[in-house]
Amino acid sequence: MRFASITVPALCVSLVACGGSGASQANNSQANISDAARTGTAAQPATVQNASAPVDLRAVMHERHEGMETIGKSNKAIKREFDGGSPDLATIRGSAAKIADLSQKASLWFPAGTGPELGKTGAKPDIWQNPQDFAAKLHNFQVAAKAFSAATGGNDVNAIKSKFADLGGTCKACHDKYRSEMHH
Amino acid sequence: MRLVHWLLAILIGFSWWSVRNHHTDWHIWSGCAILTLLVFRLLWGLVGSSTARFSNFVRGPRAIGDYFRGRWSGAGHNPLGAMSVVAILAALAVQVGLGLISQDEDGLYAGPLYRLVGTDASDSARDIHELWFNAILGLIALHVAAILFYRIRGRHLTKPMVTGRAVLDPGTQPMRRGKWWVALICLAVSIGITRWIIAGAPPF
Repeated sequence: MRFASITVPALCVSLVACGGSGASQANNSQANISDAARTGTAAQPATVQNASAPVDLRAVMHERHEGMETIGKSNKAIKREFDGGSPDLATIRGSAAKIADLSQKASLWFPAGTGPELGKTGAKPDIWQNPQDFAAKLHNFQVAAKAFSAATGGNDVNAIKSKFADLGGTCKACHDKYRSEMHH
Repeated sequence: MRLVHWLLAILIGFSWWSVRNHHTDWHIWSGCAILTLLVFRLLWGLVGSSTARFSNFVRGPRAIGDYFRGRWSGAGHNPLGAMSVVAILAALAVQVGLGLISQDEDGLYAGPLYRLVGTDASDSARDIHELWFNAILGLIALHVAAILFYRIRGRHLTKPMVTGRAVLDPGTQPMRRGKWWVALICLAVSIGITRWIIAGAPPF
């Protein structure tokens, strides 16, 4: 009995360790996720596809997390510029381009199966229960990010500010509904 | 004073509700209102009514010992309750201070003084602000528990806090009321300080 009670946790630990290293491997190659996924599935016979699938989704989840964090950081940097009184347009332009770029990538960030059932995430299951509404909100975000980035090409601070406010509205619209409170 | 107390209770509840329901802008305003009340309470604790003055009710451990041995009588906070008042006011001051320099996760909202610190500090402040609320909840729980404890022992503490009238032990000095115009000045000063902070505390 005693032996069994020791082996079970030991097994769990080794499983966790496996999952962990798998995930971090995936993270390392996150810059090229779709390629990795393609070669991964092509190289493996169909029978192990299930085993490789969770690792792939985890990588997407990780990319999503990192991407959202970068968007958040860029947003904060822009807000600080505006609130400071003498905004540095070059900084704003760079951050705006980053957000616009990531917003396009975000289309690939929410495949089915990357909700809380897979791991720690702020993505609510509601996303996959209301795919049309979610897609519409994501689209609004992408349009607003593009418009904001385009506005930073000019020198009209008020116009840029107004597009920035629009962009913030699209973040909030989606987060209020589809993001749970996640602590990290 | 009673108004300040009940406004604080309402605003703490409202702050919690608003931030839970994605009304971060209301949450920030509520925090600023709490700031005004805290500054007012601090000033009133210096120049207000006799029972509100810190110098009259905040006492050392000896007085608390005396209180436990039944050798204390007076109007207002007893020496032990004084500790609770100070702890709650201090905890709220910390909470407001953290909120002032916080920014939200998405870069949409921020406390009025967030630019005084860096972006990482603002993020950390928000995390601590969230955790610190538990300390406030704990103090409120203790506060309510103490009131229930006194009630079981036959003392109604809520009634005087609503009506402003309490039955005192014979021979006890009653409360000396504060002057209305002093209260008005305290209020004006606390609103002024709050507005200055909302403006980003120029020239810093």
